[in-house]
Amino acid sequence: MDYKYIEQLLERYWDCETTIEEEQILRAFFHQEDVPSNLIQYKPLFVYQKEQKSILLGEEFDKKMLGLIEKPVVKAQKLTIYRRFAPLFKAAAMIAIILTVGVVMKKSVDNNGGLIYVYDQYQGNNSDPQVAYDSKLPVDSINNIVKDQDGSQVENN
Amino acid sequence: MEKINFRNDILPLKNKLYRLALRITLDSAEAEDIVQDTMIRVWHRKDEWEKFDSIEAYCLTVARNLAIDRSQKLESKNIQLNDDATEISDSHDPHELMEHDEQVVIIHQLMNLLPEKQRSVIQLRDIEGKNYKEIAEILDITEEQVKVNLFRGRQKIKQKYLEIQNYGL
Repeated sequence: MDYKYIEQLLERYWDCETTIEEEQILRAFFHQEDVPSNLIQYKPLFVYQKEQKSILLGEEFDKKMLGLIEKPVVKAQKLTIYRRFAPLFKAAAMIAIILTVGVVMKKSVDNNGGLIYVYDQYQGNNSDPQVAYDSKLPVDSINNIVKDQDGSQVENN
Repeated sequence: MEKINFRNDILPLKNKLYRLALRITLDSAEAEDIVQDTMIRVWHRKDEWEKFDSIEAYCLTVARNLAIDRSQKLESKNIQLNDDATEISDSHDPHELMEHDEQVVIIHQLMNLLPEKQRSVIQLRDIEGKNYKEIAEILDITEEQVKVNLFRGRQKIKQKYLEIQNYGL
């Protein structure tokens, strides 16, 4: 091995001018058993660099990682069909409940009679504009409205 | 462009991510946690994988940022509980393998005394063998800054190491 070349490489290494390949040569050189005494002081540095690359995470980590990542996905895929329709089922259930309650209430109201007819009568009267002038109706409130309208019309004029 | 697959493309990055995280946090349990968090984050962004120039650089960037965050938290804890600091540098030394070689341990300690940026640059260059462009991308700095950090880091290790060799500790 040409030590001058190594010394040169080393100089350039300190100046950060070596390429990745040249740095690999240095590591390989210092990794061998017999390094000349004038260079041996740099051996630990390059040995260290090479040894550091052998720090690894075990197989256990892979299992843990894949467990963390893949299981939820598999679950999600299995559940998608059910999950997609779940809101529909809920909505259907709610509608069923509302309808049942509605029907039951309507039936009970129908059985009692009265109330609905009264409501209908008023509704029919209200749709007719003549109702405002109908003296048969409760007079006081209607009169107030008529007066108000007259008053405002006067003011506007 | 080939499709990126978690098992084949991202999971194998675990060791590089772990070594970088370990270099920054100096704590193996913390570093493993960081790798896990990094991968989960990357996994959640899997729709964007194809957009990245290099998924490896992206993963390393995420891991580094997480590691910096965590080590800052660790540091603040250590200020409160002072005896933790010595414990970390001694017991968390992940290099039982080479403890026979005292000189290598000294290099390890010198390296871990460097500022985070120099440490990360040296890690990516001298241990992972990355080129300046890749390192610049990972650390989000210019290639010139990569070189400056690498130069300072290497010089400091050399100088301190030779001092120890010549004058003892």
